[in-house]
Amino acid sequence: MSARFGRTELPEEQERALRRAVRLAWLTIAFLVTAVTGVYLAMGSSQAMKAAWMEDMLSFIPPVAFLLAVRRTRRPPTPEHPYGYHRAVGVGHLVAATALLAMGAFMVFDSASGLVKAEHPPVGLIEVGGFTLWSGWLMIAVMAYTAVPPVLLGRAKMPLAEALHDRVLYADADMNKADWMTAVGAIVGILGIGLGLWWADAVAALFISGSILKDGITNLKVAVAALMDARAETYDGRDPHPLVLAIDEQLGAVDWVEEARSRVRDQGHVFHVESFVVPRPGYHPTLEDLRLAREHVVDLDWKVDDMVVIPVEELPDRMLPGVKEQAGSHDAG
Amino acid sequence: MTRNFAFAATVLVALGGCTATIPTDPDGTLDRVSGGTLRVGVSPSPPWTDLPDGPNGEPAGTEVELVEEFARSIDAEIVWVPGGEEELVGQLEHDELDLVIGGLTAKSPWSSKVALTYRYVSTTGPRGEKELHVMAAPMGENAFLVELERFLLDQDLPA
Repeated sequence: MSARFGRTELPEEQERALRRAVRLAWLTIAFLVTAVTGVYLAMGSSQAMKAAWMEDMLSFIPPVAFLLAVRRTRRPPTPEHPYGYHRAVGVGHLVAATALLAMGAFMVFDSASGLVKAEHPPVGLIEVGGFTLWSGWLMIAVMAYTAVPPVLLGRAKMPLAEALHDRVLYADADMNKADWMTAVGAIVGILGIGLGLWWADAVAALFISGSILKDGITNLKVAVAALMDARAETYDGRDPHPLVLAIDEQLGAVDWVEEARSRVRDQGHVFHVESFVVPRPGYHPTLEDLRLAREHVVDLDWKVDDMVVIPVEELPDRMLPGVKEQAGSHDAG
Repeated sequence: MTRNFAFAATVLVALGGCTATIPTDPDGTLDRVSGGTLRVGVSPSPPWTDLPDGPNGEPAGTEVELVEEFARSIDAEIVWVPGGEEELVGQLEHDELDLVIGGLTAKSPWSSKVALTYRYVSTTGPRGEKELHVMAAPMGENAFLVELERFLLDQDLPA
């Protein structure tokens, strides 16, 4: 396995994280195969089981998108793709989020209409290896099996998503972590049927579908923002990425630099940095000065590689929106 | 959120422990028919069900005998309601019947309106295909459904 994203070489830590993440993605797929088979065989006419099954089917998308995106982003840039193939991550994320949203909306509608029509789910006997038992017990056993592994997988993936700055992996880990609620929801629904509360099943299904819909909306927002070249943010899309500030500070520390400001976008895994620097009055930076300044910043983090340094007379407000106001507030303060 | 959920689950499990009969009927069908009357819809489909003396006569057939046996097992009196399959399914849906028989198979298109029982016997149809025979019970009356299925499975029919 070559330890590269495009032409960006990965440090040892990220290389290990990547290898582990790929292994975990395959492990997730293997587990999901057993889960969808088991749930399908046991689901009968329970709405909640059907919803849980749908969610398991959808859970294939993020690990598959991750594996495909990682393969793509390994390719070096070409004349047709001078920025490389990092955006494959964004595309994978968008596809996964759209699938979640569409399926979540459909399932909310489906389980709500089951509730409105007051559908009473029939759950009868089943014969397993010569034993006859109420099939609800079998459903509960299967759901209990599907509750635990995703939580462990999600916990294992989360730190890797941070190390690799991978949004698809983050979305996957986040869904995995919440997956036990689906299983418990379905179990509650089935127990409800058992107790003669016909609506419990539809309510549980509605709860599960709602959580899928919410995952879809959150992920779609983050994915679209990233593809719209929003400023670089942390892997969970919560805060501006600390590197953005660090890059400006690192450039500001170069002795001939008076002022520096960058715009940074998240290409998926790696950042694309355009830095505008204003030299000290009367100083004319040489080509070597510019090269050294660039190398000084690239050493900061493996994610910063695709970077250009542009010497300017003053920081261009047109390309750095808000820079004038900030400068003003600095003077006042 | 998470805590509420765990709480709800615990309450349900505790409730389950108290009533101890799982599954339970939402509308209490099994309780009502046990020692009471069982309203059975019959749509003629020999040899499973037949009305040899017309709609006002006594029904006959293998399924009719099975239902009579089942009714004895829960101490119920049978009221036979002859009719067409679609009409009877409609009555079952509206709680006017407790059971419908008439040579129904697991492939029956009524499965979204009524609860089909466990396929209690299998035969070979006229075109050599496997036919899995079922009866139709009301939707979601799971205690009744399970009682009936348990009875049918105990008959040791060639399933």
